[in-house]
Amino acid sequence: MKKKPKKKAAEDKQNTLTELLKKHGAQIYDDLDKGNFPKFSIPSRSVSNIVYDKKIRQYILGTNTAVRSSRNTSQLRAFTQLMWLAFFANRLTGQKKSSTLRDVYYSSQAFEVDFEDQSESDNIIVDLEAVLSSPRESFHVFPEERSSVFGDLTIEYTVPGYEGKKTNLSDHPDGYAIGPSLTSSEFTGTSAEVVIAIEKGGLFTRFVEEQVDKKFKAIIVDTGGQAPRSTRTLLKRLHDELSLPVVILTDGDVYGEHIAMVIKSGSANAAHLRELTVPDAKWVGVWATDIEKYKLPTIPMTESDIKRCHDLLKDPRYQEGIWKKELEVFIKIKRKAELEAFSKYGLTNITDKYLPQKLEIAKSL
Amino acid sequence: MSSKESFTQISPSEFFYRNRDLAGFSNPTRSLYTAVREFVENSLDACDHGGILADVHMSIKAVDAEKPDPKQYILTVRDNGPGIESNHVPLAFGTVLYGSKFGLKQARGMFGLGATMAILYGQITTNKPVIVKSSTDGKTQDEYEMLLDIQKNKPVILKHETKEVSKTGLSVSICLEGDYAKAGSKIRDYVYQTSLITPYATITFDDPKGEKYRYTKVIRTMPPSPTVIRPHPHGIDVETIRRMLLDTHYQIPTVDDNMISKVRKELGLSNKNLSHSEIMNKAQKKWKTLTRPVRIVMALMSFLKMDFEKLSKTTIEEIDVGNKKLTYWDFGESQSISVDMDPESFYYKQLANTVQGETLTSFLTKRFQRVGPTTALKFAEYAKFKPEQRIGTMTNQELVKLTDGLQSFDDFMAPDPSCLAPLGESPLKKGMERFFEPDFLEVVQRGASAYSGFPFVIEMGIAYGGKISSHGMKVYRFANRIPLLYDEGSDVVLKVVNDTDWSRYKIKGEPPLVIVSHICSTRVPYKTVGKENVADRPEIERELKLALLSLSRKLSSFMSKRGQAEAAIKRKNLYSKYIPLIAQFCTELAGKKKEPNYKKMITEEPIVEEET
Repeated sequence: MKKKPKKKAAEDKQNTLTELLKKHGAQIYDDLDKGNFPKFSIPSRSVSNIVYDKKIRQYILGTNTAVRSSRNTSQLRAFTQLMWLAFFANRLTGQKKSSTLRDVYYSSQAFEVDFEDQSESDNIIVDLEAVLSSPRESFHVFPEERSSVFGDLTIEYTVPGYEGKKTNLSDHPDGYAIGPSLTSSEFTGTSAEVVIAIEKGGLFTRFVEEQVDKKFKAIIVDTGGQAPRSTRTLLKRLHDELSLPVVILTDGDVYGEHIAMVIKSGSANAAHLRELTVPDAKWVGVWATDIEKYKLPTIPMTESDIKRCHDLLKDPRYQEGIWKKELEVFIKIKRKAELEAFSKYGLTNITDKYLPQKLEIAKSL
Repeated sequence: MSSKESFTQISPSEFFYRNRDLAGFSNPTRSLYTAVREFVENSLDACDHGGILADVHMSIKAVDAEKPDPKQYILTVRDNGPGIESNHVPLAFGTVLYGSKFGLKQARGMFGLGATMAILYGQITTNKPVIVKSSTDGKTQDEYEMLLDIQKNKPVILKHETKEVSKTGLSVSICLEGDYAKAGSKIRDYVYQTSLITPYATITFDDPKGEKYRYTKVIRTMPPSPTVIRPHPHGIDVETIRRMLLDTHYQIPTVDDNMISKVRKELGLSNKNLSHSEIMNKAQKKWKTLTRPVRIVMALMSFLKMDFEKLSKTTIEEIDVGNKKLTYWDFGESQSISVDMDPESFYYKQLANTVQGETLTSFLTKRFQRVGPTTALKFAEYAKFKPEQRIGTMTNQELVKLTDGLQSFDDFMAPDPSCLAPLGESPLKKGMERFFEPDFLEVVQRGASAYSGFPFVIEMGIAYGGKISSHGMKVYRFANRIPLLYDEGSDVVLKVVNDTDWSRYKIKGEPPLVIVSHICSTRVPYKTVGKENVADRPEIERELKLALLSLSRKLSSFMSKRGQAEAAIKRKNLYSKYIPLIAQFCTELAGKKKEPNYKKMITEEPIVEEET
């Protein structure tokens, strides 16, 4: 059964952003024309302004804002940098070019806007994200790290030179890198019924080999450890635009559990963004309770592992359900297990036995 | 063991010859510097004293320029002062301990000994005479060439000439062994700093290398000159009291022919022979005009009942005030004769005063500054003396008790500062202006204060920026218009400056900052004999702190205004750099063709923002 995705979702988003940039630009233009010093209001990203919103199940910024005024000489430089970045983002999106954090840093030098170092320009990029409430990928600044996707999903490119060209993401067994062209493409059709995000590249390859995509009608996404933001954006789009449930498989330890949590509800340092979470995503394993249940070979937890467990127990998102329960079990057994641990019972044990059971459980989560 | 030991008295010259290190003549470097100081300071003091705006010209020339240091130099200092009377010149420059500065007032040198020491040093190192040229009337000048006879402490005049001149003044030239290579920078510093604190004088210096240093006067008015005053009770010790008593406790005059003719002259009797009663009548009428010795002779005569004829043949042996007896030796009869004195008589009181000295109250009010009869009575009560006790009758123990009382009694008025000669705010300011050409300059003169009975006044100036190099804070220290060049580490002024938290006054890093501090006192409390650093007396430290505080507050407000002006310029520069960029970026963002009209934002004077 082919799903009918909402048409031109990616393009709509892009247009909204361009309008927003234009609106800000016009406001500043008017100020200058009247002889007023323009100013921006940027949501404060200080720790004290990051709060957890139970309704939308993610960290968000509070109501505090920082005014950045061009009249104030200590803010003038940063103001100009932000203006330049908006200007540069507008060009990138207008010309459909992509860029990276490092690239932005060097690009600034073509204008008379100089950044002391890349961390200064990175910081301004986050400011613009906050002003626009959009991730940097939306204005074509992409991360260096790439994760992969595989499965029956047909996409239509929007990047220059490939406009209208279609590809099915099951055509190449190594999977497709989740880069700018994939992220900005339109989804035209899929037969998949579930998205499986998996923490490790090795297991991703095994899943492709074992035809998990066909057996379970799944789109398989390799998160490559902590999921990059473009990957999280992709997961969100797969969920929102194609109405596909998202399940997450990670190592059986506290870090794996948190990788799943970040996909589900974001991270504190991306509290200014709302486009990166999949609140309905489900962590299906490896749970602490699975270690006993499946008799998995284990590794003892280190001191820092245990400390991390205790830290997360204070996080509002870990106060209920499996999230709390599994953390407590980890603390109790003080042992962890990796996804590869299933290989003790044969290479296909994980896909043959474990995965079907977990997908079944997921329905009731 | 020999029973005979020979004790020989040495002359003051001999003493200084043997102890010349004490006076600053220990080696060729130090000696050259000390000699310069002594002569220049003498010249300046002489001009100050004579109310003359000083022109002091100093030169140092090598006798043989080719020789390496140390070698012989000719040091000449010439001034336009009042000069020294011709007949005083040999004594003034040819004996040690002949000076005129024994009063209690502020002066640069203390006793005028240093110049003679320099001459002595020159003589023993080069065996050349001193040449002194002096003119007091601006018409004739006496020129002496002299050597010192060290053993006899007497001048030996080699040559004495008289010349016609057109100006008064004194010139002293000596030949001495010195080391200009080493002493040069110190001497140049000395000349520079002396000019700074003496802006009403012209000081020039021609150095042995042909360099000429010229510091011309920037003001043409003399600061008010100090007056000689009586001592303050707090500043007194037993020895001083003893000397003061010797002064007041008059000797019984010898009634010789000289005295008799003096008495005749004062009474206007010249050659007339009058009877005793006629003489006494005359004396009664003229009493007020008579000098003290004559009054005493008259008092004696009133009891002796003699005329001059008879008086000349006697000598007074004893005046016993207690028993009211006057005893004399009669040459004619060759025997001692006693007569009674009537204690009710006016003349008795006169004699009693003479023999026993003044009463304590009279002594205190007449011999000390700022002591009135009321204070004197209070003091007598405090120190447990009878106010009418005659000081001539005090025992040694009583004198010690008196001295202790004078030092510890708290109700004396503060010392009289009229003996001080501060430079004054305006001259100090002009001097500093000329030397530093600063952006900021403030001076302050504190009111008079005192430590241990010695009055003092602090003057201070602070200058910032302009032509002052920014190698950090520089402190120029002066005491009684003399620069203190060395040993500054332990000086009280440095202590006060270093204890100041300069960042509070917006002074940071290596500021182009100069502080000039001038301590004026009849006795500057130097820490060492080198007289280069001042001890930290709490009273002085407090005054220095207050002076510095008032100046640094003014500096601070200057700095913040300057800071605001600099910030305004900086702001304008930043606006000029960034606003056009913002305009460029937002034009494209807004999809406009023409840039916004922002020009006036960067050309107008930027608004000074209030600091938060």
